[in-house]
Amino acid sequence: MSLFLIAALPFLGAVFPALLIRAGRNASSASAGATTFLALLGLLVNAPAVFRGEVVTARFDWLPGLGLNANFYLDGLGFLFAGLILGIGLLIILYARFYLSREDPMGQFYTYLLLFQGAMVGIVLSDNILLLLIFWELTSLSSFLLIGYWKHLPAGRQGARMALAVTGSGGLAMIAGMLILGNVVSSYDLTVILQNKELIQASPYYMPALILILLGAFTKSAQFPFHFWLPHAMAAPTPVSAYLHSATMVKAGLFLMARMWPVLAGTDAWFYIVATTGLITMVLGAVIALFKDDLKALLAFSTVSHLGLITMLLGFGTKIAAVVAVFHIINHATFKAALFMSAGIIDHETHTRDIKRLGGLRHLMPVTFVIATVAALSMAGIPPLNGFLSKEMMLEEAVHTTWLNSPYLVPGVVLIAALFSATYSFRFIAHVFLGPKRDDYPAKPHDPGVGMWLAPAILVTLVILIGLFSKAIVGPLVAVASGAVIGGGELPYYSLKIWHGFTPALYMSIVATVGAIVLLSVHGRFEQIWNAIPRPEAKVIFDAIIGGMTALSRKITEGLHNRSMARYSAIFVVFVVSLAGYAYYTGTDSVPTRIGIEPGIMPIIGWICLMGATICLVVFHHNRFVSLVLVGVVGLIISIGFNYLSAPDLALTQISVEVVTIILLLLALNFMPKETPWETTNERRFRDVIIAGISGLGVGGLIYALMMRDFAFPSISEFHLANSYKGGGGTNVVNVILVDFRGFDTFGEIIVLGIAALVIYALTEAVLGTRVRAHLLNRKPDMPQSGDAHPLMMVVVTRVMMPIALMVAAYIFFRGHNLPGGGFIAGLIAAIAFIMQYMASGFSWAAERQKVFYHGIIGSGVLIAAITGMGAWLNGKPFLTSAFGYIHWPPLEEFEWATAMGFDLGVFLAVVGAVMLALESLSRFAWQPGIASEHAMDINPARDDDEIDEKKEV
Amino acid sequence: METAFEALIAFFLIVSGIFGFVGSFGLLKLRDAMSRLHAPTKATTLGVGGVLLASIFHSIAIEHHLSLHELLITLFLFLTAPVTAHFIAKAHIHMSETPETLPGAEQDGIWATHDVPVVEKTEGDKDSTA
Repeated sequence: MSLFLIAALPFLGAVFPALLIRAGRNASSASAGATTFLALLGLLVNAPAVFRGEVVTARFDWLPGLGLNANFYLDGLGFLFAGLILGIGLLIILYARFYLSREDPMGQFYTYLLLFQGAMVGIVLSDNILLLLIFWELTSLSSFLLIGYWKHLPAGRQGARMALAVTGSGGLAMIAGMLILGNVVSSYDLTVILQNKELIQASPYYMPALILILLGAFTKSAQFPFHFWLPHAMAAPTPVSAYLHSATMVKAGLFLMARMWPVLAGTDAWFYIVATTGLITMVLGAVIALFKDDLKALLAFSTVSHLGLITMLLGFGTKIAAVVAVFHIINHATFKAALFMSAGIIDHETHTRDIKRLGGLRHLMPVTFVIATVAALSMAGIPPLNGFLSKEMMLEEAVHTTWLNSPYLVPGVVLIAALFSATYSFRFIAHVFLGPKRDDYPAKPHDPGVGMWLAPAILVTLVILIGLFSKAIVGPLVAVASGAVIGGGELPYYSLKIWHGFTPALYMSIVATVGAIVLLSVHGRFEQIWNAIPRPEAKVIFDAIIGGMTALSRKITEGLHNRSMARYSAIFVVFVVSLAGYAYYTGTDSVPTRIGIEPGIMPIIGWICLMGATICLVVFHHNRFVSLVLVGVVGLIISIGFNYLSAPDLALTQISVEVVTIILLLLALNFMPKETPWETTNERRFRDVIIAGISGLGVGGLIYALMMRDFAFPSISEFHLANSYKGGGGTNVVNVILVDFRGFDTFGEIIVLGIAALVIYALTEAVLGTRVRAHLLNRKPDMPQSGDAHPLMMVVVTRVMMPIALMVAAYIFFRGHNLPGGGFIAGLIAAIAFIMQYMASGFSWAAERQKVFYHGIIGSGVLIAAITGMGAWLNGKPFLTSAFGYIHWPPLEEFEWATAMGFDLGVFLAVVGAVMLALESLSRFAWQPGIASEHAMDINPARDDDEIDEKKEV
Repeated sequence: METAFEALIAFFLIVSGIFGFVGSFGLLKLRDAMSRLHAPTKATTLGVGGVLLASIFHSIAIEHHLSLHELLITLFLFLTAPVTAHFIAKAHIHMSETPETLPGAEQDGIWATHDVPVVEKTEGDKDSTA
């Protein structure tokens, strides 16, 4: 199966659980499982090639200009991780089916899970670092959704936020590091980067790139000091914890370090940063884990510790340590996922995860006991389980490592970590399962159904089998994966077996195990001391930092715009004016090359009207009705100006936009004070006059100067004029530009228009869902209302006008391709025809007779435009290429058809829908009970008035 | 023939000019809002009508084709002018007049604009609102 398909399958499959949940929970989980299984199958098909040492690739140049290629490749390391992700994913899907309760939205869960799975598979298969970064961020986002899956739990929401903040910001750092790396090698392809070790390590940018990339890896893999988010992420449902926080997501950081190992490792900086961080994390996690009473918190810190262990191994920088790291990744994934699932089972059956309230469960839950015990013993490093093997090898490597000339430091710290690690593992067994049976469990514990313990049981079987027959089962896998990590070349000698003879590692293991039993026996006293020592609480620090940052950004934001329109327009205008002034005084000036035309009498009259209206606007702007009228005057004169200056399309657009705008503003004014209060001081006003004056005169002067000179570059209007009819089949250049030359822009614009209308609708919905609704319902008009609000004359006239106006719209629409007009203007005119009905008979009356949803009109407009555009594909042309021709139907004259017409129809519908939806949303604020009249007009001589009077009396 | 048409066109133009001027003058000269309303709605509408007639004849006689756009303009004018006047009058009655300052409304008792419908229960003192 192609790598594209493997990476895409989880994303494609993510749709199904959400849809199939309607068919039941089994259907939903089965679809998720089938998707994962297919992807896993696809991966396994490639297994023979990978084990032969080949690299499977799939390449597709996506955005070559950016160096962003959708290139995938599958080598041993990718195969190992993809196998873990998909294999454990399959088990998790099975487990979650039985873990989630009926109240949990399961479809959502599987959708998030598959999205996450897809992002993870994408990371491990990417051959392009930009692509990898995209998937990297996707894992942060999808894990945010998964951690916060129980939206009703504050801990879940906070944990999700913290995880997103930490891993997200680490991801940002990593983007920078990756870009540096890409620049050094001048390719964003991983395979190319991995070939250039010398180039990268010799570059002066090696250090910054290393640190930035490690920031990303450390945050993702919860390395000290970023380890704190992982325990808080445990608020997630247990399947999520088992999947994300043991087997996959937290291993993404390790994967990245392993992936970049060939080019980044081997320097002192690498050793001291990575190995030291890993060492600290390992011992810190192990110590904290011992004192956690929450089962999942214990496992979380133990995960932190084991991640530290693997990081340390990668940090050693020797080939054999890399092999051990790979081996331990496999082992940790198997026993830790099993442990998490067991913890989930315990939580599910006893309704508590508090170790202090558990104990003696071995009789009540024998199956769970066996599973959890084997997994925990493996975690403790007890032979013959797989945890023992990799731990032994790790100890062996630690013994041979010198840190700052001290040969004892690393082995010593590692021994402490191993000791604590064994202790908390034993504690997990002893304090949960051993001991006397209690009678105060919050629920009656018993073993769950087979569906729930099957997944951990499979994993535990693997734990044992890998321990016993490691060479046969995982030997080849470790070999190819390690081969990929160390970047080709000979693998060092190693042997995956239980008995290595009497080595220092064996002695250390024995010391750790015996010490652990001793330590556990005095655990109670230890815990008292531990609890007495003050410790920094990571969450408090994190919250303080986030709080500080929020306060800072709020301060900056409010300093710049304090919700005073005057403030930010002043800042904006002053900035632009000073920029322009700077450009003017440092640049050179050219002499005018054109001469002005003499103004006729008409332009002068227009100019006087415009100036008069503007001045009046300044003087009377406190009265909002008057200023609205004056704005209307300005708009009308501008549209006349457009017409005078031979831009009839603009004139038509301007005039129809003007009408719609004024009506919408009038509607809005209904809810606003009719006067703007006087609140500025004279000094402020003086300042504002200066700013406004300078900017206005400046813009005027600039335009004058521009118009007095020929363009510095040849204008593209020549091209449009020459090709409008030839290429677009229309003589109205403006329309041809809109629907053909720049059709893609227009397509985007109608989508934006539709979205804007939908946002207005959504805001209205949101506002009306709050207490504001009650306020609006009880609103008393702020000015006296008049009777006869829907006068007969207006109603009759608008009814007469409606077909005429619609016909005008149709006329404008059809002639648009060749004469001034087009879908946009026609849409506005049609909208005005409808708005007139609303105005005449009232919103409620008209809305009751309006059967089509405006949402649908917007949607159909966008769809029609899109389908028209896609029609070009059938022709073998790019999206939105228009075609045209001529038709001759005998009684009619020959006429032209153009596919642009269909596109224009889409524009038309989108405009009508958007305007009407905006209007409808605003009108809904005004709705009050009893406002709707069943009559179109208040006074109708044709109606029997007695009837009304009777009704009124009732 | 041509001259006769030209004379006709000139006549309509002059008529429209006079009406337009009278209308605008009346807007300035007349005393109160209700009287002033008559000037632009009646006289000026007629004035514009004159220009439109002149334009039709001009296109027939001088440009030798029939142009009926003017008829449409006339139609719209006849539709919009009364509605506009009606609303201006209503606004005026609503804001500046009370039932007492207006002449009586015959059997209806009160002018429609003052006949405010009461949605909620209030202590209305007029029977007409019930």
